[in-house]
Amino acid sequence: MESAATLTRLVRRVFYRLVVPVVSIAAALSVSGVLIVVASGNPLEAYGAMLQGAAGSIGSLATTGVRTTPILLTGLAVAISFRAGVFNVGAEGQLYVGAAFATVVAVAPLGLPGFIHVLLALLAGFVGGALWVAIPAYLRAYRGVSEVVTTLMLNFVGIYLISYLIDPITGPIGERNASYAQSALVQETARLPVLISGTSLHAGLLLGIGLAVALQILLRYTGLGFRLRMLGGNPTAARFTGMNSSRQIVIAMLISGGIAGLAGAGEVIGLRMRLYDRFSPGYGYDGIAVALLANSSPLGVILSASFFGALRAGANAMQQATGIETSLVLIIQALTILFVIFGPLRGWVATRTTRRAGLTPGGSESAP
Amino acid sequence: MGRIGCRGNQEKAGVGSTDQQSSAPELLRMERITKRFGDLVANDEVTFEVLPGEIHALLGENGAGKSTLMKILYGLQQPDSGQINLDRRLVTIRSPHEAVSLGIGMVHQKFMLVPNLTALENVVLGVSSPRPPLLELRDPRRRLMKLAEEHELAIDPDVPVWQLSVGAQQRLEILKALYRGARLLILDEPTAVLAPVEVGQLFRVMRLLAAEGRGIVFISHKLSEVKAVSDRITVLRLGRVTGSLPTAAASPSILSSMMVGRDVSLERVSPPVQGDAPILELQDVSCLTDRRTPGLDSVSLTVHRGEIVGVAGVDGNGQRELVECIAGLRPITGGRIAIQGRPPKGALRTIGLLGLIPEDRHEQGLVGDFDVAENLVLRAYGRRPFSAFGFLRWNHIRSHAVEQIDAYDIRCPGPETKVHHLSGGNQQKVIVARETQEDPALLVAAQPTRGLDVGAVESVLNLIRGQRDRGAAVLLVSTELPELFAVSDRVVVMHAGQIMGAVPPDPTRLGEVGEMMMGHTIQVAGDGGTAA
Amino acid sequence: MPLDPAFITDWGSAGIRLATPLILATVGGVFAERSGVFNIGIEGMMLVGAFTAVATSYYLGASADPAVISLLAAIAAMLAGGGIAFIHAFLTVTRRVDQIITGAAINILALGLTNTLFRAIWGETGRERVAGFPEVRVPVLADIPVVGPILFQQSLIVFVAYFIPIIAAFVLFRTTWGLTIRAGGDFPLAVDTAGLSVTRVRYAAVLFGGAMAGLAGAALALGAVRYFTPGMTAGRGFIVLGAIVVGRWHPMIAAGACLLFGAADAFQLRAQALNLGIPYQFFIMLPYVLAVAAVAGAIGRASPPQQLGRPYRREAG
Repeated sequence: MESAATLTRLVRRVFYRLVVPVVSIAAALSVSGVLIVVASGNPLEAYGAMLQGAAGSIGSLATTGVRTTPILLTGLAVAISFRAGVFNVGAEGQLYVGAAFATVVAVAPLGLPGFIHVLLALLAGFVGGALWVAIPAYLRAYRGVSEVVTTLMLNFVGIYLISYLIDPITGPIGERNASYAQSALVQETARLPVLISGTSLHAGLLLGIGLAVALQILLRYTGLGFRLRMLGGNPTAARFTGMNSSRQIVIAMLISGGIAGLAGAGEVIGLRMRLYDRFSPGYGYDGIAVALLANSSPLGVILSASFFGALRAGANAMQQATGIETSLVLIIQALTILFVIFGPLRGWVATRTTRRAGLTPGGSESAP
Repeated sequence: MGRIGCRGNQEKAGVGSTDQQSSAPELLRMERITKRFGDLVANDEVTFEVLPGEIHALLGENGAGKSTLMKILYGLQQPDSGQINLDRRLVTIRSPHEAVSLGIGMVHQKFMLVPNLTALENVVLGVSSPRPPLLELRDPRRRLMKLAEEHELAIDPDVPVWQLSVGAQQRLEILKALYRGARLLILDEPTAVLAPVEVGQLFRVMRLLAAEGRGIVFISHKLSEVKAVSDRITVLRLGRVTGSLPTAAASPSILSSMMVGRDVSLERVSPPVQGDAPILELQDVSCLTDRRTPGLDSVSLTVHRGEIVGVAGVDGNGQRELVECIAGLRPITGGRIAIQGRPPKGALRTIGLLGLIPEDRHEQGLVGDFDVAENLVLRAYGRRPFSAFGFLRWNHIRSHAVEQIDAYDIRCPGPETKVHHLSGGNQQKVIVARETQEDPALLVAAQPTRGLDVGAVESVLNLIRGQRDRGAAVLLVSTELPELFAVSDRVVVMHAGQIMGAVPPDPTRLGEVGEMMMGHTIQVAGDGGTAA
Repeated sequence: MPLDPAFITDWGSAGIRLATPLILATVGGVFAERSGVFNIGIEGMMLVGAFTAVATSYYLGASADPAVISLLAAIAAMLAGGGIAFIHAFLTVTRRVDQIITGAAINILALGLTNTLFRAIWGETGRERVAGFPEVRVPVLADIPVVGPILFQQSLIVFVAYFIPIIAAFVLFRTTWGLTIRAGGDFPLAVDTAGLSVTRVRYAAVLFGGAMAGLAGAALALGAVRYFTPGMTAGRGFIVLGAIVVGRWHPMIAAGACLLFGAADAFQLRAQALNLGIPYQFFIMLPYVLAVAAVAGAIGRASPPQQLGRPYRREAG
């Protein structure tokens, strides 16, 4: 009897968590469907092709996985920062710097066993990303400077810094005599193992999923997680419990930046085996969308990143089959977010969950 | 006002017409106003009127319905039923803008001033310019200074508002209302932020304005002030008018009973317990405020085991800085603070040393989105039994919460209830439960009864007394003198960051306290440690 | 470093040209932020403006005088920017949603829309030149050595950008509208109780910001290159945010910051040919580094509007 009640409660909670994103996705797909019709296309055909391209075969699923991996990691990075009440919009720059750090380690002929070399490269990636967020973190924690502008600006500094580093003429890790800016090839021992042979799906995905689970445990079951949530919930009250908020903010941002750095590292040692110029089509910004859709829950990020990954994977197939531009998925993504934040559905969910708890909506704060 | 026959129990729900009614048409008449918020009836068939030239006080405890009534009058709320008449004409007021155009002006408790704009710019905000959209400042400046002069409201028009003192800001608020031609002026708890001498100045201004034929609504919960300045008093309790009578006929006990429904005498419940060990010692402590102005000025204070030291004073005279310095949240620029011999840094993290009930429970004391259980371990989550090897043990946290909910009678559906759903009184209980659970040597309570209804006030004060009885040293900072006197063993008074003196909680010494709050030293300001 | 006049003229001219879109968008952004709304979506609005301008010019083709076409294109761009800004305003002011997330979504939407429509109209080829803003040469003044051509021989839109900051500063500090906007970002409750609508003020400021961003996009696309490339704003919308901070939320100082950024941009394009020993990427980075330094207070401190980024809620009850 007890377990049945707890199970219903769990199911109910999951339902209310999912209903907003799911309905928003449906709405976004509908509106985009209308756009497709306007462009004299067939929405069902288009979405069908997309579905095929994303999940129709092992190969498709692998492609989805590949596309999911980097935004899963940046999504986690952004989500953990949101939970602590800071806005890390600099994941893009952090992933580039993380990629650069990982590349330096990964291209070096260290003669180490594969496992160690990979781990070192990943560690370097984490350090790179954390380093890149360090200055904004310090400014925010100790000088009260908004991290939004600082992390945002450093995105571009990061992108151009990497551009310089792999410049064929002047770049210290750039491959000379190459026609494009790129780094040397990543050593065999530093490559992430492929999960499904014949595809490019690499262990970065497992890293992401594992990290999501770890973060969920961190937030819910550790003292550090409690502190971060306190900070995100009410930073003033957190200070009044004697917490060193400044230090916690820095910790949160370093973790966030580091995870974004892992996103970049994963792309280099898992997918491309070289550091290329401008290799990210905006993964850092997608992370913001992914985190929002998941309401900053690490486990939720797995789902929302998979959704966006599927969209991206299916886009190419859709274009080949129906001629509809891949950029349509950007529209679907944006509409999804807009519908999520648009809000009336959220209000409904809030009232339902409050009533369940036996309280009147709005609490008893309506004072005379 | 003229002689009026005894009203008291002859009156029903306070319809106030006097002998002299026919000659002066009411300026304002709010008739049978009712307003509900869900189950709560904020105003219940309230009838309220103001005559021109009259200062009419609206009296009642926190939560009696005064604010709601005035919000309705000012267009910030709409009544569920009832009507409003101005100059005997029916009006509907749908927004502050409409209220202003009808000649209603309001001076809010929290000033409606834009900090980065100058005083003059604030006055002109929202007033249509003679040559729109150009900002014309010359004529407004002249008009403003003339108004200021006529009504003894000194103001510098070109200073940015954030640089003005609280008293100056209030004068500016009044000037803003006068500038817009207010014939009915509502003053919402205006004296809460003023020193006694400024209160006198305000009353003079009020009488001046009334003499000009304006009507003044004076909202307060302080009996003495209401007696001093008003012509008529209407009392609200729990949303209803419990009485309306001319001031001359109102005695403090009649008014109190109207306000609370029973004879309120905050009696001293238990005799003070004297301990000898000093737990809290401040020696010549100084610090700065957030604005880099002097906050504390060479403050010396001692609190012993088993005693409650009350800190009285007008809000904004260093009490906030005092609490923050003791808790280690603000650096001191001079002197020494010791809690059981240790410096305050890290006091909040040391078990059993310091409990802090902060001034603002929403902003400083609770995380609204956390549930009751989480808020109860907001400080202790990292220690046994709530944590092991860095991991939280939710079963212990939950059972602890269940215990505390029971022990402190916290009304909530359960420990997973989010704390922002609780009422103010219950929220405060959560804080008190949390801060006292390790039996701290020192308990600092800052305005612990602010915003609570009478029942909750009593609970909280009893809890504080309980701590003292168990042997804690208690520092109680409050603007409510009756509560301080009822509970403290000793009362010190702060003014402008200094301790002006100390008195025993003897009601006959209230006058001294008032003077010290104004800045007059009565006794030699020693360490505030000896009871007279 | 060659300081010969020809180089200076070339560099200065390009600097002003590159700064123009920044100036236009920055002035709009200052108004929005002064009213309390942070707009990270300026990038998207500029992109939409650029696309709309080029598309309008393309479809009006040979039907009229190029100057008229460019004017219509500019108006269309402003309307497009304003339209996107309406979404931002609706979500952040009426629905009180977080302003960062809204802006980020708008950027993605703008990229998606413009890319899709670009391919739909021009297919893979893309680069067809359309009518742009006419070049203007001020007689006499343009003959001043070195400086003349820099300032007085530019596209028409540049001259517009000369005046906009001045007019904006006047409006912000010398009119009732400006007073209300400044109050709206600092202490909106005062605006509310003064009988004005915070909502309306913020909508107006954000829509103006969007229109200016749209115009900036038009300047970018029709000022020099006269065609549209997917994603052609390339982060300029984000530099604008930096310029607003460096410019301490004052239209004219912020415009000055834009001039600085434009000069840096123009310099990096030329630095490669100069063999300075400093890789050109560092010049591109410069504006962003400056913005961080400004925010950090290294270049003097100015405080943002107090309620910047916070939705306004009239406390009912």
